[in-house]
Amino acid sequence: MHLSTLLSLPASLALLTLATVYASPHSYTEHLHLLPLPQSHLHAHFNFTATTPLSAYESSHFRYFPRSLAQILQHTRTKELHLRFTTGRWDDESWGARPLDGTREGGTGVELWAWVDGGGSKTVPEERWSELVNSLSGLFCASLNFIDSTKTVRPVRLFEPEGDHGSEKGGLQLLHGMLPHEVVCTENLTPFLKLLPCKGKAGISTLLDGHKLFDATWQSMAIDVRPVCGAADGGECVLEIQQSVSMALSIPRSMRDRHDPIPRPAKIEDVQCDESKPWNGHDTCFPNAVTDEPAWTLSKVFGHAAKGACDLERNDQAFDVTLEVPSDRPVNATGASELTFPSTTRRHYRLSASSSFDLSLPACPSPVNPMALFTPPLYATRQIAGHGQERGSMHTTLRNPHAHPLTLVYMESLPWYLRPYMHTLRLSNGKQEKLYYTPALDRERGTHLELVLTIPAQSTTTLTYDFEKAVLRYTEYPPDANRGFDVAPAVVRVLSEHGGFGGSYVRTTSLLLSLPTPDFSMPYNVIILTSTVIALGFGSLFNLLTRSFVLAEEVPPSPLAGIIRRARDAVKGLLGKKTGGDEKESKAADAQAGETAEAPSLAKERTDGKANGIANGHADLRERKARVVT
Amino acid sequence: MALSARLLALRGSPFLYKLPPYLSALCVLVGIGWILLLPLNEYSRQTYVSENAILPGQVHTYFGGSEHNIFRAFRQEVYALSQQPEDARQAGILKILADSGLKTASQPYAYQVAGESINGTNVYGIVQGPRADATEAMILLAAWRNFDDQINYSGVALALTLARYFSRWSIWSKDIILLIPSDSTYGPLAWVDAYHSISIPPTSSRNISALPLKAGALQAAVALDYPAGPWGQRFSSLDILYDGLNGALPNLDLLNTAVSIASGQMGIACTLHDHATHSDSYRDRLSVLASGLATQSLGHATGPHSAFIPYHVDAITLKTVGDGWHDEMSLGRVTESVFRSINNLLEHLHQSFFFYILLNANRFVSVGNYLPAAMVLAGSFTTSALGLWVLSGRDDVLVAPLAGGLAKQKVEMETVKLGGDMALVPKRSVQTIERELFVPALLLLGVHILGYIPLWLMTSLNRETLALGLHLTTAVSLILPISLATTIRLTRSQAQILQSLSLILLGALLATLATLNFSLALVIGLLASPLAFVRRSSSSLLTAAQALSLAITSPPVAVYAFQRVFYPAAGLEKLLLELAKGWSAQGVWLLWVAWGVWWPAWVVGGVVVGSGVMSARR
Repeated sequence: MHLSTLLSLPASLALLTLATVYASPHSYTEHLHLLPLPQSHLHAHFNFTATTPLSAYESSHFRYFPRSLAQILQHTRTKELHLRFTTGRWDDESWGARPLDGTREGGTGVELWAWVDGGGSKTVPEERWSELVNSLSGLFCASLNFIDSTKTVRPVRLFEPEGDHGSEKGGLQLLHGMLPHEVVCTENLTPFLKLLPCKGKAGISTLLDGHKLFDATWQSMAIDVRPVCGAADGGECVLEIQQSVSMALSIPRSMRDRHDPIPRPAKIEDVQCDESKPWNGHDTCFPNAVTDEPAWTLSKVFGHAAKGACDLERNDQAFDVTLEVPSDRPVNATGASELTFPSTTRRHYRLSASSSFDLSLPACPSPVNPMALFTPPLYATRQIAGHGQERGSMHTTLRNPHAHPLTLVYMESLPWYLRPYMHTLRLSNGKQEKLYYTPALDRERGTHLELVLTIPAQSTTTLTYDFEKAVLRYTEYPPDANRGFDVAPAVVRVLSEHGGFGGSYVRTTSLLLSLPTPDFSMPYNVIILTSTVIALGFGSLFNLLTRSFVLAEEVPPSPLAGIIRRARDAVKGLLGKKTGGDEKESKAADAQAGETAEAPSLAKERTDGKANGIANGHADLRERKARVVT
Repeated sequence: MALSARLLALRGSPFLYKLPPYLSALCVLVGIGWILLLPLNEYSRQTYVSENAILPGQVHTYFGGSEHNIFRAFRQEVYALSQQPEDARQAGILKILADSGLKTASQPYAYQVAGESINGTNVYGIVQGPRADATEAMILLAAWRNFDDQINYSGVALALTLARYFSRWSIWSKDIILLIPSDSTYGPLAWVDAYHSISIPPTSSRNISALPLKAGALQAAVALDYPAGPWGQRFSSLDILYDGLNGALPNLDLLNTAVSIASGQMGIACTLHDHATHSDSYRDRLSVLASGLATQSLGHATGPHSAFIPYHVDAITLKTVGDGWHDEMSLGRVTESVFRSINNLLEHLHQSFFFYILLNANRFVSVGNYLPAAMVLAGSFTTSALGLWVLSGRDDVLVAPLAGGLAKQKVEMETVKLGGDMALVPKRSVQTIERELFVPALLLLGVHILGYIPLWLMTSLNRETLALGLHLTTAVSLILPISLATTIRLTRSQAQILQSLSLILLGALLATLATLNFSLALVIGLLASPLAFVRRSSSSLLTAAQALSLAITSPPVAVYAFQRVFYPAAGLEKLLLELAKGWSAQGVWLLWVAWGVWWPAWVVGGVVVGSGVMSARR
C-alpha cells in the first residue's frame, strides 16, 4: 500500500505534468497559404504559431516559445509586441486587398509597437521601451536601437491591443516606432528562423531562403506576441507568438535558374509575336501582352522543396499547406497527402515527415480573374511636393472605392527636422472628426499627427499641409548626407463598418526628404578659409582708407544725443514744475539746459570745420600744399 | 603705422582721380583675355568621374537579341501611330506601356504665349523597381517630336523597348519613369512643374493638369533624340545636350558617365554643340566654348532635358548625329548602361561640378578658372562708378591745377586753423560741392521702372505685332536719352552722380548674375562695356562719337544684330516669339536682364552723353 503509493506518486506526478502539458497548450502549428495573383505573381503567407501558458512563461519554462525573446519581454514588462520587417510594395491596384487586411505587415523598413506595463509612471515605460528596442536590436541584427525618443510616438486611436489583458489593460502604454531607412535582408531572416522550433531545418520554414525572399516584389516578416485567454482551456491564459512571412513573388523572376538569374533577352522563338501586324516577319516581332500565368513548381519558386514536416505534436486533422486555385486546375503534389474539404478553391496538403514536398502547376491560360479579388478598403498615396531647401508640402491622397463612406484613423510620425505648419492643414472632400497632435521638440521628440476622418463613398480625399525643413548641425548628418532623410510611411486604419473593434490597415510608401546639406568637401573648406582671410584683409584696408582719425576732444557730440538730452531735460523740467520743484533741482536743470544750448552751436562749428574739408587726416597734406604755395 | 600714413597720403593724390577709366579699360581687356586663355591646357582639365558609386561602363549590358526584333516592331508601330489622330496615338502608347507591366497615366497641358497656343499631352509610365522602396526615381524621356520638330520615331520606339526590357530586372533601386511628351520643350516643363507641386492653378498663360501618378524624388533624367524613320538610320556619333533653363547645368558626373560609357564601352564618339569634327585644337576648343557661352547666356531650353535642371534633377539629352555604323541597339546599350550607373547612386549627384565650361566632351574649365572673367568685367563698371562718385563731390577745376602744378597759377588762398596750428591752403581744395542726390536717384529709379514697358511689350504682344513693338522700342530708346537730357537739365555733378549710381548698380547686378549664369553676365558685361567710358563732354565731336558707340551697342540694336548673325533664316518675328515664349512659359530671365538691367543702364549712359550737348549749348 505504502509502496504502491510511493510508486504511484512519481507516476501520478508525471501523469499530472503530462496532463497539464496536453491541457495547457504548449502548442505549435505552422501553415503556408499560396494564392496566385494577377500579373504572374504568387502570394505566399507563412504562419508559425507557438503558445506557452502564462504560468509557464512566468516561471521561465518554455517549450516552443522562443526563450531569447521571452526573456526580453519579461525583463522589459512588455505585454504585447508587434514587430515588422518589410521591403517592397504591395500593388493593390493589380492584386486587390492586402493579405489579412494589412494587420500582419508594416511600413517599409522596420516598424515596432508594443504595450508596455508602465507601472503607473511616466518615465518608466520609456526606459522599458528603450531597453526593449535595444535588446531586440541585438536579437534581430537590425538597427532598432535607433528608435529613440525622436522616433517614438504614442498613437491614440490607431492600434488596439489584440490580446486579452484583463485588468492589466489600464496600466499598459502603447509605444510605436518606425525605421523607414532600414534595409531588411538575410541578417534579419536568420534570427527570425532561429526563433522557430524547427529552426528552418524542417517543415515549411525550409522554403524560406534569403535569395528568393528578398527578391520578392513585396515581403513582410512579422512577429506578434500577445496573451490569449480562451474559455475552452478552463480560462487559463496562454502567451501566443505568431511569426509570419508574407510575400508576393514574381513567378517568372523566381523561376529563373538560381545560378544564372540574369534576365537576358528571351530567345526569339520564345517570344509570342502578334502575327496580325502587317510588318510581322523574321526580324520584326510585336510582343503579345503576357496574360498567362506561367507553369511553376514550389521547389523552383522557393529555391528548393520543403524538407519534410516539422512534426511536433500535430493533430491528425492539421494541414501544413493550402493552395488556393480554381478546382479545375491540375495540380501535382508530391510528398504530401491531400486533404479534401468542401471548399471549391482551396486544396490542403499535409506534409509527410520524411519525404520532401513539392507542388507543380502547369501554365494556366486563364489566370486569376482580377475582379474576383477583394477590393482594397482604401487606396492611399503620399508624396512630398515642392522644391528647394527651405519648404515643402505633404500631399496625401485617400481614395474610397466603396459605395459607403469610410471612417479611418490616419497617423503620421514625422521626424523633428520636418516642421509642419498646422495652420496649412487642408482636407478636401472629407470630414475631420478628431485631431490628435503632439508638436515636435527639436532633437527630442518627433511630430505625432493622428486624424480621424470620414471619407464619402466613391470619392477621393486629399490631405495637404506645408512644412519647413530644419537646418541640422553638421554632426547630425549621416555619412550619405546628400541622399536625403527618410520619412516614415503614414499608417491608415480603416475602421470596420459597424464601428467595432478591428479594421484593416493600409500604409503608404516612405518618402525621401532632402534637407539643406552643407558641402562637406575640401574645396568648400578652402573657399571658406580664403574668404575669411580676404574679408579680414579687405576690412582693415577699407577701414584705413575711409575712417577719419581725430583727437578725442575734437569729436563733436552726436546731434541725436543732444536731442535726447534736450527731451530728457524737458521731461525733467515738467516733472519739476508739477512737484512744485525745490530750488536745487531747478538750478541743476538750468545748468543742464545751458549746457545743451551751448552744445549744438559748438557741434555746428566743428562740423563746419570738418565739412569744409577735407577730413582731418589730410592735415599733413594740406600743410605740405600750404608750404608749396608760400 | 607707416602703411596707414602712406595710404592716407595717397588719398589726396590727383593721380587717383584720373585712374578709374584706365582701370576699367584694363578690367575689360583682362576679362576678354581671360576667356581667350581658357582653352589652353594650363587653364582647363581633363574630365573625370568624381562619384565613386557610379562605376560607368563596369556592367555588362544585355540589351540585344530578340529585343532588336521587338524594337523594329515598336518602330513600325510608332510609325503607324504617327499616322493616327492624337487621341488614338496616346491610347496606343499607353497600351504598349501597360502591356509591358508599367503603371500608366497621362497629363494634358496647354500654354498661351504671344497669341499662340501650345497644346499637348504627356504620356508616361512607371516601372516600379521590384525591390525599390518608391523613394527615388529616374526618368527616361523620349519626346514625340524632337527639338527640331521631327517625329522621334526611333527614340520613342527605343524607349518603349527599354521600358519593357527594364521591367524584367529586379536590380533597380529606383523607379524608372518613362515619359513621352508631345513636344520637346513644353511637355517636359509641364510635367516636371506638376511633379513638384500639389496642383497648379490655371492662369491665362498656362493650364497644366496635376499628375495622377507619381514616384519618389527624381534623381536624374536621360532623353533620347533619334528621329530615324521606320526603316532605321545608322548614326556616327552622339551629340550630348546639357544646357538647362537659365544656364543651369547638370552635374558634370552625369555627362562624364554618358561620355565614358558611349566612347569607352561602346566606341561611339561624343560631341558637344553639334561640332562634328573636333581636332582638339585651340580653335575648336574656343568654338565649343563660344557655343556653350551662347546657349547658356540665352538660357532657353535646348532639348527635353532642359526643364528638369532648375528642379535640381540632373538631365542630359543623347542625340544621334550623322551617318555611320552605330545602330539603335548601341544607343540602347548606352542607355541601359547609363541607367545602371545612375541606379548605383546612393546619394543625389553632388560630388562633381555644377559650374563648368566644356571645351570638348572630355575637357572642361572649372568655375574657379572662368568666373574671374565675368567678375572682372563687372568690376570695370564698379571702378568707374567709384571714380565718378569721388569726382562728383569735387570742383572739376581742382584736379587740373593740382596735376599741372599749382605754382604756375594764381590761386586764392585760405587760412585753416586747427587747434593752435595754422595753415594756408588753396581755397578751392577745401570747398566741396554738396552732392545733389535727389534728381539723379529719382531719374535712375524712373528709368528702371520705364524698362518694364519694353519688357511688357516684348512678352505680351501678339506674334504679328512683336516686330512692330521692337521697332517702336528701338525708336523710343534712341530718342529717350536726348529728350530726357533736354527736359531735365543736369548739372555736371548730378550727371556724374547719376552715371555713378547706375554703374554701381549694373556692376553689382552683373557680379551677382555671374554666379548664377556666368555666360549671360559676361555677354551683357561685354555689350554694356562702353557705358563705363562715356562721359559728359562739351566737345560736340566727342559727344557725337560717344552717342554713336552707344547707339551701336544699344539693347534693341543688339537684338537686330543677333537675328541677322545667328538666325538669318528664321526672321525677326520668330526670334521675338521664341524670346517671349522663353519668358512666359519657360521662365527665362534673359529678357528681364536685357530690359530691366541693361536697358536702363544704357538709357542713363545716353542721358549723361546728352547732357553734355545741353551744357555745351548753354
